[in-house]
Amino acid sequence: MSPGLLTLLILVLALAGYLIGRSRAVAQVAGDIRKLHSLPPFYGRITALLTAVPALLLVAAWLLAEPLFLESKALSLINPSEIPAGKSAALVMADVRRVADGLTALQARGDDLAPLLADPTKLKTALNDAGIVLETEPTVSTLAATQALRDAGKTSRLAMTAAALALAVAGLGFALSRITPEFRARNATERFAMWLLVGCSLIAVLTTVGIVASLLVESIHFFELYPATDFFFSANWTPKFGGGSSLGILPLLWGTLYVSAIALVVAVPIGLMSAIYLAEYASKSTRSWVKPAIEVLAGIPTIVYGLFALITVGPLLRDYFAEPLGLGNSSSSVMTAGLVMGIMVIPFVSSLSDDIINAVPQSLRDGSLGLGATPSETIRQVVIPAALPGIVGAILLAASRAIGETMIVVMGAGAAAQLSLNPFEAMTTVTVKIVSQLTGDTEFASPETLVAFALGLTLFALTLALNIIALVIVRKYREQYE
Amino acid sequence: MKDQRLETRVDTQTIKISAQKAQVYYGTNHAIKDVDVEILDKTVTAFIGPSGCGKSTFLRCLNRMNDTIPSCRVEGKILLEGEDIYDARVDPVQLRARIGMVFQKPNPFPKSIYDNVAYGPKIHGLTRNKAELDEIVESCLRKAALWNEVKDRLAAPGTGLSGGQQQRLCIARAIATSPEVLLMDEPCSALDPIATAQVEELIDELRSQFSVVIVTHSMQQAARVSQRTAFFHLGNLVEFGETGQIFTNPQDPRTESYISGRIG
Amino acid sequence: MTATPRISLFAQDTRTKRRNAAEARFRSYGLAAIVLALLALVWLLISIFSGGLPAFKQSFLTFPVTLEESVLDKGGKRDPAIMAKATTVTYAKVLAKALEAEVAAKGLETKLKTKDLTKMISEESPATLRDRVLADPSLIGQTIQVSVLASGRIDGYYKGRVTMESAAKDKNTSPEQLALADQLKAAGVLTMQFNSGFLTMPDASDKRPEAAGLGVAIIGSLYMMVVVLVLALPIGVAASVYLEEFAPKNRITDLIEVNIANLAAVPSIVYGILGLAIFINFAGLPQSAPIVGGLVLTLMTLPRIIIPTRAALKAVPPSIRDAALGVGASNLQTITHHVLPLAMPGILTGTIIGLAQALGETAPLLLIGMVAFVRDFPGAPPEGLFDPAAALPVQIYNWTQRGDPGFVERASGAIIVLLVFLIAMNAVAIYLRRKFERRW
Repeated sequence: MSPGLLTLLILVLALAGYLIGRSRAVAQVAGDIRKLHSLPPFYGRITALLTAVPALLLVAAWLLAEPLFLESKALSLINPSEIPAGKSAALVMADVRRVADGLTALQARGDDLAPLLADPTKLKTALNDAGIVLETEPTVSTLAATQALRDAGKTSRLAMTAAALALAVAGLGFALSRITPEFRARNATERFAMWLLVGCSLIAVLTTVGIVASLLVESIHFFELYPATDFFFSANWTPKFGGGSSLGILPLLWGTLYVSAIALVVAVPIGLMSAIYLAEYASKSTRSWVKPAIEVLAGIPTIVYGLFALITVGPLLRDYFAEPLGLGNSSSSVMTAGLVMGIMVIPFVSSLSDDIINAVPQSLRDGSLGLGATPSETIRQVVIPAALPGIVGAILLAASRAIGETMIVVMGAGAAAQLSLNPFEAMTTVTVKIVSQLTGDTEFASPETLVAFALGLTLFALTLALNIIALVIVRKYREQYE
Repeated sequence: MKDQRLETRVDTQTIKISAQKAQVYYGTNHAIKDVDVEILDKTVTAFIGPSGCGKSTFLRCLNRMNDTIPSCRVEGKILLEGEDIYDARVDPVQLRARIGMVFQKPNPFPKSIYDNVAYGPKIHGLTRNKAELDEIVESCLRKAALWNEVKDRLAAPGTGLSGGQQQRLCIARAIATSPEVLLMDEPCSALDPIATAQVEELIDELRSQFSVVIVTHSMQQAARVSQRTAFFHLGNLVEFGETGQIFTNPQDPRTESYISGRIG
Repeated sequence: MTATPRISLFAQDTRTKRRNAAEARFRSYGLAAIVLALLALVWLLISIFSGGLPAFKQSFLTFPVTLEESVLDKGGKRDPAIMAKATTVTYAKVLAKALEAEVAAKGLETKLKTKDLTKMISEESPATLRDRVLADPSLIGQTIQVSVLASGRIDGYYKGRVTMESAAKDKNTSPEQLALADQLKAAGVLTMQFNSGFLTMPDASDKRPEAAGLGVAIIGSLYMMVVVLVLALPIGVAASVYLEEFAPKNRITDLIEVNIANLAAVPSIVYGILGLAIFINFAGLPQSAPIVGGLVLTLMTLPRIIIPTRAALKAVPPSIRDAALGVGASNLQTITHHVLPLAMPGILTGTIIGLAQALGETAPLLLIGMVAFVRDFPGAPPEGLFDPAAALPVQIYNWTQRGDPGFVERASGAIIVLLVFLIAMNAVAIYLRRKFERRW
């Protein structure tokens, strides 16, 4: 039975449980619900919850753990001598999985599998027909592993269905047995609900754990295949299909920082001065439409900025700046990406700075104006110094956003990894390479693909550090004035 | 501490600020009506009256601080030594160098004590070199009776001082530009009794060099520190005269009601 | 103490004049900054709209086509298997011949041969006609009026991409074809019409930008938004309620809050890596499927829903909670019956804005395999959630990577569609906020 159908069945059982539980509670007091501790629906709810939740949790856990068990079983059947040179057992397992899926697809189509399994050549052709291409014909042990995988899979599903349904029925029975007029159904339901709430909150924590775990695990795999010192300190990035690549992060980091620096050079003056004008000079009516207008810049998806960089800004910079100055003839460049990214980041700087400047108490401004200072002197010498920690925090957050940005650099900065000072040259960044290495044709378990996880780990660590510093600064600053 | 100060002879009758039929509007609300008052030099003038009577509003008109409120409009004349401060040719920036202000809640800048006091002279370009600036800072801090307490830590932040010290710092800051008139808006209402006494003593000393206008909600304080008193009620200037006379023999029945505590 | 020199208030001294000049300059810098920011926005929008609006108009050729049985149904019995043997090549010839007949019928002169005329019709059109005939075999034997897409080059000619000079060097078209196109336009055979196919047709291959459409991408994005809404809203609200109302104020809660604030600022590509590692590699879900995209976007949107939801809950005054507790409601009842309904406008606004941000995300979807070319519409949910699909922003990216400049126009047009959706969502959010906002 498919997991979807099983879930549906469990939910139907839960609904039945609700109805039975509720009516049973009412029946026990002969219809006088005042004698019940809680309102009748609560008795129904607790029954439904006890029926559905344990069973569904079991199904979820089973589905998560199933692949591990099945694969380890199949893996043990593969003859190590049959693994071709240069591949690992994991890659062979991948093939086994694909063959297994292919066989299931053929069976669903109505093909007879027996003759195919006896003849590897026929099997290869049939799988090819179904859209699954194998490099070599499946070997005897591979076929054995495939059969084992499929059989184990079927057994597992059967067991899961049986266990889940049994648990659901058991839950139903248990709940019904506890229904008495004194039973505090509302409290029990609310306790259950509370655990659900806690669980939902933990999903946020689990996400972080998941991110860190997936990045770490695959990065460790990568560092087993490629030395970490070379990765962190080499200035050479040339991945080659089939081994022998140089995978140094330095040119990518340089590109990332260069583009972000240009973005900040554009965004900080414009954003900060806009914030100052809006906070200190603009009338309420001006502020009411200008502030949202600038924030529109933040709501535009980055793919739009990417296209803008690709078809408008890039050629413009090339034709009017790079070529006349002899600095390059590429429309993809650090300058292109940096300029467009700067435009995108303006609202980050201006909105946050605006909030921070507004938080500076009016009494400080009054004190300065009362001494005969002009508004600009007050802003420059009293307000901004008071707001400085918050503004620095805002800039750090903007920098973090710029460093983690992908689409603008994918479409505007180019793919060439180099360490150059010329901003009109194409230079690539960490994020661009993550995309290109993970969407390329290389095998998943090869260093050329796994390097993307190491890159992702570096990126995550960098942006996390910036975010934490920024948050600490802004928090400390807010305490000063509250 | 004496509760009643003896009448000290006012030694000059020069009129510093003169208001003639001054009106203040907030939008359509006629907040201050027909005020005629004279602030004399080297004198402490107190503005008293119940809450919301407009004394702080009027005070803020004297150095055009109400300019910062868009809906506020002033009509009539307010003259500083004969020149209308609301004339179109007047730059409020210059005006406020000559009329200083101390606020209700002490508001030292988050800068060092030295920089707080030096701020005014610096922006107005009143000194030629650092030595002169040091001199001004020291003399103002002495005049504010703060020098001995902070002379060893001029670089410490002004916000690190106690409430009373902060207010005295604000007073030192305000007198650093050598204003002719010092406006004080309930300067002691956020301070404890000891700090209040220190500031009141200070005001009495300052009067030998400046003209002081103080808004206060405490009649006792007005009686203690001022030589002339103006009583405001519902936006009108009801009575204005020598402090002793206002408190012992008020002319207007409203003044009498306020003094005896029947209104307020 | 140095006395301030007594000058008249009416005379501005030089220093004050300089200070006021500096003031005016400073103010103008602020204004200039705002103007620059707004100009950048306007520049961006004009660039996109001018490039993309032409995508909504397309060149069509309308002429009668005789569907001869001898060519299209050799068996004569309308047997689908036999009819299917007439391939797109056959239909292409049918269309070319019909166009030739129309040219002659309108009295237009040209040196072009039949096979050149084939090039004037989109390569997609024979397949469209074939599908139509196979779906309705009764059409065979009739002469029907057919409206087919003109080729990408002809379309480009009318949109300024292709000129007579470039046509001379182009192997896919020629100046003679363009001249004939002009004649056909004058005769009313070739028309520029609103291209609804842009919104409904699936993607087309490299050489056929004129036939490329957003149909699959829109459905894919829609499925993903539904997944995000169904998952992120309840989980987000549940987490917010717990954190705001029930969690004890200790270090663990603090850690969770810092965690969520950080997750909101993690680059979206990291979520893509997470999705690839966990949903595709570990859990074995199919690549490029809306369910995977939806799950990844859910994880990304959760913090963005939790933060405004918590703010909305915080804004409900404690007096309401006290009143409910005072009549004996339990904590959970207080929240579900009183606090949540009052916080709902803020929650909905935050959710809609979170969804709008998710709609525009590209990088995480690229990593879960949505780079592939998808021509088949995904099925109906829930199974359809596991079929490969595309998404609006990914489709845009795909099209920019193709050689034919006709795809740049399609990409810009797709951006217009995306922006229309986003504006609509944000407008709904703003409307909700204005209508239901309460000031306590």
